[in-house]
Amino acid sequence: MEIIINNLKKTFGEKVAVDIPELTIHSGELLGLVGNNGAGKSTLFRLILDLIKADTGTVHMRGGNVDVNVAETEAWKDWTGAFVDESFLIDYLTPDEYFQFIARLTDTSDEQLQEFLAQHQHFMADELAGQKKLIRTLSAGNKQKVGIMAAMLLRPQVLILDEPFNFLDPSSQNAIKHLLKKYNEETGATILVSSHNLQHTVDISERIVLLEHGKVIQDIDNKEKQAQNILENYFEIND
Amino acid sequence: MNSYKLYKLIAKNADLKTKRHPMLDKNRFMKFLMAFMWLYYAAILLFMGVVMAVGMKGSYNGVAAFHVFDGGMLYLLICDFWFRFGLQETPAQNMQPYSLLPIRRSFLMNVYLTRSGFAWGNLYWGFLLVPFALIAIAVPLGWGACIGWLLGWWLLLIANGFAYLFCRALILKHLAWTLLPAAIHGALLAVMLIPDKNPLDMPCTLFMYDFLQWKLWPFLLVGCIIALLYWANYKLQMGMVYDEVGKKEEKEIKHATQFNFLNRYGKLGEYIKLEIKQRMRNKTVRMSFLVGIGLMVMFSVIMYFSDVYDNSFMRSFICLYNYIILGMMTLVTIMCYEGNYIDGLMSRRESILQLLTAKYYFNTLLLLIPPIILSPLMIIGKMSVWMNIGYLFFTAGVLYPLLFQMAVYNNNTLPMNTKITSKQGNTAQQIVSMVILFLPIGLEKAATALLGEPWGYLFLAALGIIGIATHQYWLRNVYSRFMARRYKNMEGFRASRNS
Repeated sequence: MEIIINNLKKTFGEKVAVDIPELTIHSGELLGLVGNNGAGKSTLFRLILDLIKADTGTVHMRGGNVDVNVAETEAWKDWTGAFVDESFLIDYLTPDEYFQFIARLTDTSDEQLQEFLAQHQHFMADELAGQKKLIRTLSAGNKQKVGIMAAMLLRPQVLILDEPFNFLDPSSQNAIKHLLKKYNEETGATILVSSHNLQHTVDISERIVLLEHGKVIQDIDNKEKQAQNILENYFEIND
Repeated sequence: MNSYKLYKLIAKNADLKTKRHPMLDKNRFMKFLMAFMWLYYAAILLFMGVVMAVGMKGSYNGVAAFHVFDGGMLYLLICDFWFRFGLQETPAQNMQPYSLLPIRRSFLMNVYLTRSGFAWGNLYWGFLLVPFALIAIAVPLGWGACIGWLLGWWLLLIANGFAYLFCRALILKHLAWTLLPAAIHGALLAVMLIPDKNPLDMPCTLFMYDFLQWKLWPFLLVGCIIALLYWANYKLQMGMVYDEVGKKEEKEIKHATQFNFLNRYGKLGEYIKLEIKQRMRNKTVRMSFLVGIGLMVMFSVIMYFSDVYDNSFMRSFICLYNYIILGMMTLVTIMCYEGNYIDGLMSRRESILQLLTAKYYFNTLLLLIPPIILSPLMIIGKMSVWMNIGYLFFTAGVLYPLLFQMAVYNNNTLPMNTKITSKQGNTAQQIVSMVILFLPIGLEKAATALLGEPWGYLFLAALGIIGIATHQYWLRNVYSRFMARRYKNMEGFRASRNS
């Protein structure tokens, strides 16, 4: 599924949060979004997910015979999974109940759900499935895992994750990297990931977009991992 | 920084907290509405003050108006106490942001207690008391008496404020403490209302008269009560600061009931499960449900065993109240709890429509509770069966559709799992509650006056049946309008989350 952004602009008062004249995220691409705090990464994701209103411009999802403007229809929600923050989680459910809730909404059978959970048991490290803990009592890292798993549960063609490495322990960060790579390769899903962790972003992304004050200042082909130096220079990591 | 400057700084932060609340900050209409309501009630009190001063004069065997007024002083104090709920927070709730700063906790507590106890809100009753005192006391007895009387009332209201803070702090520990003020006030009301002559009338009159005469003892007595309550509040609330800072929820739930019988209803069943679990697992939602049931039972029991409510208006009110209260407690603020996870809901196709439908079915099912509670009254003939039928269908088919309109406009997130706090809905929601509670009674009276019984009630039921039959249509209409306003609402939900 291709995501086509046209003349997209969002301001909060005087501050320009997003200003992207044109950007196409190709079908099957794993795109990393990087930038300093306030660069507009989360706002861009929220615009793609129709959670905030754009001042101008459109976001289209296109694939096969389908071409939808996300602000005009809800059809894209059937093939899009996302986790941006805790406001995606119903925190008075247990992780199992939440997965089951999402599964039923997305017409995923109980067998498929059990298979999915079994496949990702390692990532969840036995701390989530089968527990009687409500999501609100989980650690930030475990909440993050629940959100990511729920987003992937419907096997979306478009997967959007905001800061997926946050709060996770090193082995879980590694696990999520492999998970995303594998999912992308197996399904050909279009994946958008934002992160402040340059190493992880460079490791998994085939293309990296660098945002500053809402504008795309670099669109880097990272198939050969050549973004590492460019990003390190931009963020002045080696100074 | 000296203590006075520190006091000013903390006081300024507290004022900013109110002033910059997201719901007020971005909503000019809400600001206007609140100012309007403030002025409206002030005008009513002012009017009442004048009317009482003139009307009470010589109404009881030539007794002065202020004596009549003072005889009923406890009614005013009881009203003042209960009006404070929802308007006044306890100090412990406000101290958390300062807990790691180098400010003595005792100093902070004194700042908040002083501000709470001596808040400007205590002077609001002045709109009633001042015009009354000017006409009923200053004219016949002079300015000295008038000022003494007003000063006495001010001290009484401060003492009442501290008593409220003490009870409120206990209630925050456990809701059962609500029974303490309820029992004391209930006992006082019983003593005042049940005998032919109120035995507290004379002592109250004499007590207030001594304020008017500037005798020292009532000032000293109330001063001592204030000091005692201040000390009690200080001790109690200092302990509660640790509770507020370190509050932690139980790690595991005991029973994770799955309600599998709802699986056959597909997606709708999942949203109904969500409704049930929301009520079971969140303190605020659960408490409002239990309080609703408690009030239904209380009114019905009073009506069963006494003749206090044996009049046409109260019969209608209690019947309507029983049917609407459970729905009203959650539907006036419909979507406000969902504001906590609105982004997740909005990421799924038509989830809001499914959610609204589930809410409608669930709340309609809850309407099976009132006939059970009211059945003893129907059996002994104190309440008509036709009235019950009328209000049952009218609630499901007319009042619920009206309440569901709030889903389009509500955009303030309410916390689901705190104990009772001051965030209990905004002024517009409170106005809708009032309209829903009283407007149907007018319609019922008009219908029964025009058509007689039982046809008046059947007319109400017929209106309700139309609403029930068309529920899919009007729910979709609410959903479409919600979606048209989604950006504005989501912005409001996000802004008021965790504020």
